[in-house]
Amino acid sequence: MAVTVRLPTTLRGDGPDTLTVTDSVATIADLVEVLDRRLPGFRAQWDDSMLNFAVNDEMVLHRAGERALADGDVVEVVPAISGG
Amino acid sequence: MSIDDRVARLLAELPVEPQFPTQGATLFIDLARRQVRQAYTPRKVVETFLAGRGANMFYLHRLLDETLDPTDPSVPLIFGSGVLTGLVPSAARGNATSWSPESGVLMDSNAGDYFPSFMKMNGLDHLVVYGPAEAWTWLWLGEGRVEFRDATPYLGLDNIDLRDRMAVDLDGTWTRDLAMASITRAGENQVMSSAIMAGPKACYARGGTGAKMGSLKVKAIVVQGQTHDFETAQPYKPYNKTIAMKLLGTSVVKHALRTMGTPFLYKPSRILGAMGTKNNQETTWTDQLDAEHITPYRPGMDGCFRCPVNCRPLNHLNDDAADKYGRGDGPEYVTLGKFGPNVGIDRLESVIRLNNICNDLGLDTASSGSTIAWAMELYQRGIIGTAHTGGLELTWGDAELVERLLFDLSRREGFGNVLADGTRAVERGHYPAEALKYRMAVKGLMQSDPHDARILKAFALGLAVATRGMDHLRNRVTLEINARVNDDPDFKAKLYGAPVAAKPNVYETKERAVRACENVYGVGDAVGMCRFTTKLFNSPSLPGLEQFSDQIANVTGLALDATALDRIGLNIMGVERLINQRLGVRRSDDTLPERWFDEEIEVGAYKGERIDRGEFDSMLSRFYEISGLNDEGVPAAAWRRELESVLAPA
Repeated sequence: MAVTVRLPTTLRGDGPDTLTVTDSVATIADLVEVLDRRLPGFRAQWDDSMLNFAVNDEMVLHRAGERALADGDVVEVVPAISGG
Repeated sequence: MSIDDRVARLLAELPVEPQFPTQGATLFIDLARRQVRQAYTPRKVVETFLAGRGANMFYLHRLLDETLDPTDPSVPLIFGSGVLTGLVPSAARGNATSWSPESGVLMDSNAGDYFPSFMKMNGLDHLVVYGPAEAWTWLWLGEGRVEFRDATPYLGLDNIDLRDRMAVDLDGTWTRDLAMASITRAGENQVMSSAIMAGPKACYARGGTGAKMGSLKVKAIVVQGQTHDFETAQPYKPYNKTIAMKLLGTSVVKHALRTMGTPFLYKPSRILGAMGTKNNQETTWTDQLDAEHITPYRPGMDGCFRCPVNCRPLNHLNDDAADKYGRGDGPEYVTLGKFGPNVGIDRLESVIRLNNICNDLGLDTASSGSTIAWAMELYQRGIIGTAHTGGLELTWGDAELVERLLFDLSRREGFGNVLADGTRAVERGHYPAEALKYRMAVKGLMQSDPHDARILKAFALGLAVATRGMDHLRNRVTLEINARVNDDPDFKAKLYGAPVAAKPNVYETKERAVRACENVYGVGDAVGMCRFTTKLFNSPSLPGLEQFSDQIANVTGLALDATALDRIGLNIMGVERLINQRLGVRRSDDTLPERWFDEEIEVGAYKGERIDRGEFDSMLSRFYEISGLNDEGVPAAAWRRELESVLAPA
């Protein structure tokens, strides 16, 4: 299984803008655990309500943890803020 | 009753000494007599509405004559700084309030940069400016006095040149010892989307503030020097450190606002299928305008008075010294949307350039962009043609055309004269009535932000009930787009004071979140806190009522706990609705553009979403009920009497 994860600059720093997750991740909740191990500070930003997920270009606005993932999915981590 | 009589009657009631530590004076600036009188806001008024936006409403309620026209110089323009403006990190804001020439309802607009803080540092909480002035004037404030000066040499100058000239003439430096609220040619020409500029980009943007100031023949108000030495009720600087740590420790500040600023929201709106495109005919647009693409053009960030966040992205397009618009301040998210997808432009450099032009011309990018987009759709549909536009072809995505339209609009030249009338173009006979069907406005004010709110029902309700018209900054429940919040019902209930449904596209309970946000943001404006760093707007972790309460006590000695502040937020909305009622606003005005009821979203996971009229009406009724409003959307009898006893004691 491989899920492609696109990262915002807030998470990737000087690293690449995508990473491939080959762990078994059945849901976004599983993916959060994997990303927290691979990206310093990911859990803190997630817990501080700054990040959202879009799966195959569809934003997940609720029940995100339960959202099923499949081989070949592209998951985008999207900072969500407002402004004037 | 004349404005002179109204002011005299009010002054007779007002205290002549400060009512608590750090309270600044209210100056009544009579342009006709070139006379200034001073008083202080009564303590009871502050305990009911605070200062800034709150007490501005007290003054407007008392001095407004609704039988006049908004541009009558007897209708005052009121500036107010918050209780904590200039004293607390990220509290650099103030409001400008009047009767809007653009919308015809309440005008109330908030700005930062340095002017509101310099007012406060000079011992001034409110300026009430009214005319008529015999000739164009600018006001100099400093050293405890006001001077009325001849504005003739500055007429015709736009923002960049005016700021350069004024700094030289006053031998001062912006941000160090000079701050200014001023208008450009657009304000002089009473363009409906003209702003009062408060800095290179910062402005009191919404509601035609520039046109209102132009109607008073006031070109600028300059505060020179930071002279005030505050004695506070208790030491407050240690708690400032707590607030600063809270600000800087919040993810959204640390990782987004401080690094890129507000353009971040473009991407989630685009992916969601909620990015207003081509006057909201479509709802998604290119990824080329995503915030990360702005990075190569961003040489650094700037900020407002003593704000540790510095969220304002600067821009640098080229090194051509002769190109006035090759560098500037911004764009913010609203401008990115309004001059990108909303007018069909997909080239980032073009959007940045148009942003720089709007900053110089002194234009509200929200109303100006929406006005142009509206005209483009009317042209696309054949409702107007080249006979209306003076031969111009209003083609989506034509950045050179948009640039020309902005200049024409600011000068009221050619078709620009039509655009300069903004939302009033039908009323003034420029467009046929059919055009109103495509006008993206509520209560006569074009939508502030580019987010299409057919999906998120809390966003939609907020835009419908905002007291100044269609504006997200009054009550936006931004966290509705955040799955982390939506998926934690207990946390979400605690955040809004009652359970709110997780699904963003349902109507039930969303009124509770809008009510909570409206209260917190109203208080935020009245203390002077920036919306971006106020709890609920961008994060659940930012300073909110509890922190405001603590610091109000330290600074002023006023004991207002979080519950009392929440009530003050409600009171501010209440008096604003009383003012709007006098200006003819009714329940039927708390609505949304026709398009959002009639047309469905056509892309993305929420394809098919629109606003259901019956569901919306029920949600509005529930909002009125939990807000203490009657069926027409004004405070119910008992609360109204309570408010009026403070507004106009017997």
